[in-house]
Amino acid sequence: MKQVTRNIDPASARGLLERVPRACLCFASDHGPQAQPIVLVWHDGRYLASIPQKADRKPGPGQEVVLLIDEGVHYFDLRALYIRGQVKQASAPPEAPAADCTWVEVVPLKTVAWDYGTLREVRDER
Amino acid sequence: MNVDDPAMLDILRRCMVARIATLSRNGRPSINPLYFVYMPGHIWLGTVEWTLAARNVKADPRVSVLLEVERDRSPRLVLRISGRAIVRTDPKGQRSYNLRVARKYVLTPGGIRHYLAHLRQLKLRRHYAAQNVSMGQPCIIEVTPLEAEFLGDEKHG
Repeated sequence: MKQVTRNIDPASARGLLERVPRACLCFASDHGPQAQPIVLVWHDGRYLASIPQKADRKPGPGQEVVLLIDEGVHYFDLRALYIRGQVKQASAPPEAPAADCTWVEVVPLKTVAWDYGTLREVRDER
Repeated sequence: MNVDDPAMLDILRRCMVARIATLSRNGRPSINPLYFVYMPGHIWLGTVEWTLAARNVKADPRVSVLLEVERDRSPRLVLRISGRAIVRTDPKGQRSYNLRVARKYVLTPGGIRHYLAHLRQLKLRRHYAAQNVSMGQPCIIEVTPLEAEFLGDEKHG
């Protein structure tokens, strides 16, 4: 039995980390889910995210977050990296954009990636 | 900001991919990029009932949605909408959504060029869609905005 998949090895989505098209963090707050656009710097294999100082809400140390890096508009161009992890405080990476922001590191627990341009049949492993 | 603000409506009309943040029954966060269409007073995002986004909305209707015009790179301006959502599976709504999505994403010069360039993959796309539907009904996440705010890009100040 075969199925069609969009999933790819996260390692092959490295291009998204080298030239981050758009990135955001999601976390829970007292007001519900919070989606926050961020600047992401992938430095020495670490996921460093800057959140504007003026942001109403920020994730606390150890809090579970999802980091999404995605690109594309048309169907077969849609690609993404979806990283579930925990945040910890971090210092700004070298050559970080000078801005009034807080830096956090997302420590990954689970990473998945997809690329609709690679839709293909694979053996069904369900 | 008023959700009928002209600047907000401009982004809603020109943005192509929305990112919707949701919480599970246990409060675990998730965020997914989805196609959407703007309806007066609502945002309709298309997905399938079994997805995390749809299941989360059923568990907790609070959502946070990010929208930006992908082709406007400088300065980057992101619209964040907070609101409440429901999951709709009614055939009338689904037909209306499908029509609007086709107009927005397929029946445009860019859309037609894109699909012509990927003719060989269309069969796989159909199989993938059928496979998803076999696992659960197509649905619309209908978001009713309650608050909206513009977020600038800190790289640009």
